Amino acid sequence: MRYGLFLGCNMPAYRPDVEKAIRVSMPALGVEMVDLEGYVCCPAFGTFASCDEIGHMAVSGWNLSIAEGKELDLMVECGSCYSSLKTAQEHMVQDAEAKAEVDRILAIAEKKYEGRATVRHVLDVLYHEVGLDTIRSSLKKTLEGLHAVVQYPCHTLFPSEVVGFDAPPARPHILGDLVEALGATVDHYSSEYLCCGGAGGFHRGAAHQARDFARRKFDAIARETKADLIVVSCITCLMFMDRVQLELSSGDGEYSIPVFDYNQILALCQGFDPQHVACISDVPRDSVCERIGSLGRGSQLSHREE
Amino acid sequence: MLKLAGANKGLWRDVWKSGDLLYCFNCSTCISGCPASEADPPLLIRNLVRMVVLGLEDDLLEEDTPWLCVTCSRCEEMCPQDVKPFELVLAIRRWQCREDETRLPPVLPELYERGYTQAVEGGEMRKAVGLEKLANLSEFPDLLKKFRAMLMEIEIVKQNDYMFQVAE
Repeated sequence: MRYGLFLGCNMPAYRPDVEKAIRVSMPALGVEMVDLEGYVCCPAFGTFASCDEIGHMAVSGWNLSIAEGKELDLMVECGSCYSSLKTAQEHMVQDAEAKAEVDRILAIAEKKYEGRATVRHVLDVLYHEVGLDTIRSSLKKTLEGLHAVVQYPCHTLFPSEVVGFDAPPARPHILGDLVEALGATVDHYSSEYLCCGGAGGFHRGAAHQARDFARRKFDAIARETKADLIVVSCITCLMFMDRVQLELSSGDGEYSIPVFDYNQILALCQGFDPQHVACISDVPRDSVCERIGSLGRGSQLSHREE
Repeated sequence: MLKLAGANKGLWRDVWKSGDLLYCFNCSTCISGCPASEADPPLLIRNLVRMVVLGLEDDLLEEDTPWLCVTCSRCEEMCPQDVKPFELVLAIRRWQCREDETRLPPVLPELYERGYTQAVEGGEMRKAVGLEKLANLSEFPDLLKKFRAMLMEIEIVKQNDYMFQVAE
């Protein structure tokens, strides 16, 4: 299994520990990743998709052509990057006239995209290509005894006919299954399938209401679950759900549930160093990292190994 | 009361070549579950559809709410009339940018200059987690030049080329 690793902008710039986690945890599952030299911004929905549709397709086409040149599909963690690239790809398939103009523009940069390379989200690769058994057998430690809740990345759910790989789209299960494969108990709650509210212009343009929106989710988690941690698989969900807890804590109440990207918690269970794969956060994650460190392999797994 | 005398009945064609929005029957599914519908003032996609269909050009140009969208696309999934509300929000943003260049996303020139919205090469943090400095587009001067030449062919960039000047 080989993929072109599409990093996007926020992960390498602000959360390189997630990048590190992906770079160590995926090879341990037999997934080889190739860097896409010369890649650019996906482009983010707030850039070209918001001012020039051909521009959106051309810049995505630039990225897709790099992977296609290597005969690879792209693998993406960031929900927005995933959806932006997927949407551009879909538009190029649907609109021949637009595709012709994109081809002309790409040719100026001596690039060409013929539609072979496609885009996969890392959860899709983990669940459908790697599989839960392979993940389980790569573990040196488990999350046994820990309760987790998950935040599904909206950009991987909707619109399902363009981006979807989980079903039913409004009741996804893949991230929950992947977390359970690490030995955690996944608790469910009333606003589990709601957006985190962190992407786009909501928090920037209406910070107060965006915080209220997030607060309801965190209050539901606190009231309805025993969550020790929140697991996400999107850099925006990660950064927002982490940072907004600090913002919320400056008011009434205490919000301090550690947030992890799935590949971070996977890498920790595979025995990788938390100082490398899970060291950047606003809400301290030491409690969870230490607990995993002290757990070792769960009894069930040891039993299976014998 | 709405004043339709000065309305531009062809506005929907200017905003979006697709006629999908004409099928909107105002059910508000696009609003329920939309995080930005809780903003003040709220993003109410249903209302934007009416504004476009009725041709209320001046009002639409002043609307900041399309820029609040979180891009989650839930509305796109749930709309029973397949209006593609998220696509419409983006189309309204594009129309506003075409009508008024001060609407252009401020990050655009940055994208032209370096290829990214953030400093992807990273600094001390990357080193601390055991990663190399990331080879960004600036490390491939020939590619960066081609990328900029490509962007200059994009209509909105061409039209506003004064915003995209960088020292070579």
